[in-house]
Amino acid sequence: MSTQAAPVRRTWTGLGRKRVRLADALRVVILIALVLVSLIPVVWTVLGSFKTPTELAMRSGSVLPESWALDNYTDALSRFNFVSYITNSVLVTVGATALTLAINSLAAYPLAKYNFRGKNFLFVLTLATIMIPLQVILIPVYQVVADLGLVNSLWGMIIPAAATPTGVFLLRQYMLTIPDELIEAARVDGSGEFRTFLTIVLPLCKPALAVVAIFSVMWRWNDFLWPLVVAQSERVYTLPVALARFNAEETVPFNLILAMSVVSILPVIIAFLFFQRQIATGIANTGIK
Amino acid sequence: MVTVATATRAGSETPRRRRTPWGLRLAPYLFLLPNMVIFGVFTIYPAFSGVNISLYESPNGRVFRWVGLGNYERILTSDEFWRVARQTITYAFAYVALSLVLATIAAVLVNQQRRGKAFFRASLFVPVLVSPVVVGLVFGWILERQGGLLNNMLGAIGIDPIPWLVDGTWAMISIIGVGVWTQLGFYMLILLAGLQAIDPSLYEAARMDGASGWQQFWGITLPLLKPSALVVLILGTIHGFQAFDFIWTLTGGGPVGATTLIVQYIYENGFISPIRYGTAAAGGVILFLAVFTLTLVNWFLSRGKED
Repeated sequence: MSTQAAPVRRTWTGLGRKRVRLADALRVVILIALVLVSLIPVVWTVLGSFKTPTELAMRSGSVLPESWALDNYTDALSRFNFVSYITNSVLVTVGATALTLAINSLAAYPLAKYNFRGKNFLFVLTLATIMIPLQVILIPVYQVVADLGLVNSLWGMIIPAAATPTGVFLLRQYMLTIPDELIEAARVDGSGEFRTFLTIVLPLCKPALAVVAIFSVMWRWNDFLWPLVVAQSERVYTLPVALARFNAEETVPFNLILAMSVVSILPVIIAFLFFQRQIATGIANTGIK
Repeated sequence: MVTVATATRAGSETPRRRRTPWGLRLAPYLFLLPNMVIFGVFTIYPAFSGVNISLYESPNGRVFRWVGLGNYERILTSDEFWRVARQTITYAFAYVALSLVLATIAAVLVNQQRRGKAFFRASLFVPVLVSPVVVGLVFGWILERQGGLLNNMLGAIGIDPIPWLVDGTWAMISIIGVGVWTQLGFYMLILLAGLQAIDPSLYEAARMDGASGWQQFWGITLPLLKPSALVVLILGTIHGFQAFDFIWTLTGGGPVGATTLIVQYIYENGFISPIRYGTAAAGGVILFLAVFTLTLVNWFLSRGKED
């Protein structure tokens, strides 16, 4: 592979070639087909959210809505309690994420940086809870929440799933990379254990905290089964619970349901566009490790 | 590493015997406390009390009557449960197989793509972000027999309307398809991470030896992708057996129960009248045993093949 010989160089600058390889063309065609299948339902939802009931009822209506007015959105918000459902969703998402970040990082720190009796047991116990998803213990968890008087309260939706095993795991793995010398130095300077955690360890964990936060937000915002069980009175409905109930009961016209569906999916998609890299690394880390 | 370890052991039996202040000894437990309390109250305790509840029957969650293994006996001899179990297994199996094949294809293709790689990756991930409730109700609209988007598109190429959600078999096919649609991008990302961890020099060496694209794929890509594929297999199995939300808004388990899966069975027994609390709890225990066994099987099968 002499770099000076011109003919050799021409063969490996592939873009210069005119002949498009069949395999490359086929690959692009398949990928575009996959993209269309992925995106068309979402785009169709957004388009539908601007259509009137008559447009939606047409057997083969036009693809684009007649007008881009926000009537469906304003109607849904003013005629029904969607402001309240969205507020509940935001409160649950933000509250649960804050709680998860706090207790997961607190738990991850000793599992990464202390030697103490029962450390391995507690770590394995934490990871073992991955095997016990909510679906499996739906009835007994509900029983606990009912005994604590948390049914029909936002706390009942926030607290139970806050201690995520994957969050603890991810943060612990990240904290392992923090040099012990930093923590020792703080101790020598007379910093208390909690202050060391708060002022030295946590700021260094920002990338891992971001990953946990993004996943928590995505998951809580879209969560359905648990809110469905806990939020029995309309006052505490989250957005997904409200959408599912009203769609089944057909109490809210479908064009308004579509508009509120867009309200439910758009924030997540926008957040994804901003945090793509963290999401990819988060999936790679929790998936493979 | 090994030499260091033996050296310290030879030097002194306990290298760190300095007395630590009790505050330092207590600190790790205090740090762990909040997380462990929530784990304990909302996961570990229910895991045990669920088994206990499954030995009782209750029409309301307040008054319990001891029935021993009666709930299990009744479930395991009821046609309804076995129908739900069969449907859950059908769904989970098809879902995992399709997801694994399609996600591998998507990951390999995206990985080979030089232009627009980020665009393809992001676009395929978008469905993962959509709320499952919305997935269900939007596909319920797209799959309408008359005037639904899909049947309209198929009609344009001369295919007669398909009863996607009206016919039992088609409804099962629909929930499998929609289930794959929602998570494909997630599995693809896991596999993409696995692909990117493969040493490119392996491909160079293979090319020098004259291996074709297919030979490289079967000889290098697939074997080295196996750890990530195992993750997809395990997660997919768990997701498949726990599918509920989008099915609830897409078919509601219908028509006539044809797409009712085990989680919906648990939910309906526990929360929709007539309430059978113990039956629902027993269903949870059975679901746990099924998923746990399958996870172990997946794990051992894949380990066995490596040797």
